Amino acid sequence: MNRLKRDVVILSLIENLKKKGSWCGETHIQKATYFLQELFDLPLGFEFILYKHGPFSFDLSDELTAMRADMLLKIQPQPRPYGPSLVPRNGSKSFKNHFPNTLKKYDSNIQFVANKFKDRGVSELERLATALYVTQEINPKGSSEFRAKRITELKPHISIEEAVAAVKEIDEIIIVSQKHK
Amino acid sequence: MAALCHDVGHLPFSHSAEKELLPEGWNHERLTLEIIRSDEMKLIWKDIKITSDDVAKLAVGPKYFRDSYFNNWEVILSEIITGNSFGVDRMDYLLRDSHHAGVAYGKFDHYRLIDTLRILPKKEDGSIEPVLGIEQGGLHSAESLLLARYFMYTLLYFHSIRRIYDIHLRDFLKEWLPNGYFHTALLDHLQINDNTILTELFKAADDVTLNGYDPARRIANREHFKLLYQRNPRDVNKNPDSAKAVFEAACDKFGVNNVRDDNYKQRGNGHEFPVITDDNQILSSLELSDTLKNVPIVAVDYVFINPDLYQDAQKWKKENIQTIILLKKEEDHE
Repeated sequence: MNRLKRDVVILSLIENLKKKGSWCGETHIQKATYFLQELFDLPLGFEFILYKHGPFSFDLSDELTAMRADMLLKIQPQPRPYGPSLVPRNGSKSFKNHFPNTLKKYDSNIQFVANKFKDRGVSELERLATALYVTQEINPKGSSEFRAKRITELKPHISIEEAVAAVKEIDEIIIVSQKHK
Repeated sequence: MAALCHDVGHLPFSHSAEKELLPEGWNHERLTLEIIRSDEMKLIWKDIKITSDDVAKLAVGPKYFRDSYFNNWEVILSEIITGNSFGVDRMDYLLRDSHHAGVAYGKFDHYRLIDTLRILPKKEDGSIEPVLGIEQGGLHSAESLLLARYFMYTLLYFHSIRRIYDIHLRDFLKEWLPNGYFHTALLDHLQINDNTILTELFKAADDVTLNGYDPARRIANREHFKLLYQRNPRDVNKNPDSAKAVFEAACDKFGVNNVRDDNYKQRGNGHEFPVITDDNQILSSLELSDTLKNVPIVAVDYVFINPDLYQDAQKWKKENIQTIILLKKEEDHE
């Protein structure tokens, strides 16, 4: 997928998250993009590593900054305790209109991710995204307990109960997402 | 040790065309890792009772060190070296380069800045993580660091004439190096330095039969390609890839050998960090500083043309620019 099409997908994801009530800080966008790419095999080409809040892509972070330079996104400071949001700028709508096929092709995937993760906080997103990361790293068929234990090894501040719940939820999300592929 | 070794893998002339002059899968960070892990260096690490990976991990940070995960403290320590906001690498090169280039706008009060750096808990939507932040008293020093970065990038590092010399140097190296790439085997890599290349470049500039004659003479005789187009907000608003469109159209019109392009966009988001106020509240830097909210993102796109064609190219650009940069609607088959 070329850069402009990728930007259209990210813009649409941010718009949909925002519309459905997400505060759209960079961590939310990172995790939502991770789910979009990994659950639906979208060829966005971002490389995610396990970082402070779970899977994180430095390339995506650079891309979001580039989108600000290209006047597609702007940063909007939020009052405490929230960090800044990233919001589409006015010109982004006409930019998106040049890519009707890309928007149409990925719309149901974007809607799925926006609906599933619109109201999740950063800690919850971290648990779920790490659960997906571990599931892909180990084996989707690995037992919930084994994967949960791995999560707590990687992220010691996550309790085993929280990790088990995250693994169970991500398994359900994977199953439901197959229907939207 | 990690800070000292952070840049040891750089090629001659540092960042100039690193991407094009190393084989697929290689970059200077990978060379840094190779050097830190080399047998010679292992002896040093053994002497001071640390392992090569202790150093390597912090020297290149989580983006490039993939062999094990980083805990919060390792993340903080590597941020102190490589971080976008307050990395010591950045502080060092801004100050050093502004000194040696003779420009004042790269300077800032690094004593005050370092003195007020703190590890702070960043609270975000139910999550807490330790990150590098600053005391409120150091906020103006942080502003001046980030402004220094902006000015150094736009006025010095990415000045169009400085960049075209990088491009001519890359073209020379592409022709001069065996197979067009630097060596990645350590001993061979360490044999070539700036001086080796300058000597060969001036030799090639005087001898039409040598590889790299044309780009070498452009550098030696200052006959560099001229700036034909650069990104501007009006065109970017119409097409974020306007410079790419101009580059491709210019290649079609004047031939690929007569046109060069260059682009860079700032990486990461270094303007947002926690600040501890005088009454012990932890707030976002963007809440406290209008300056940081408004520091522009560095973004550069250039198209250069052979100076012999400059007049014709300018005329062509003037007549065709609006058609060239028009963002085309996606076709049905795309």
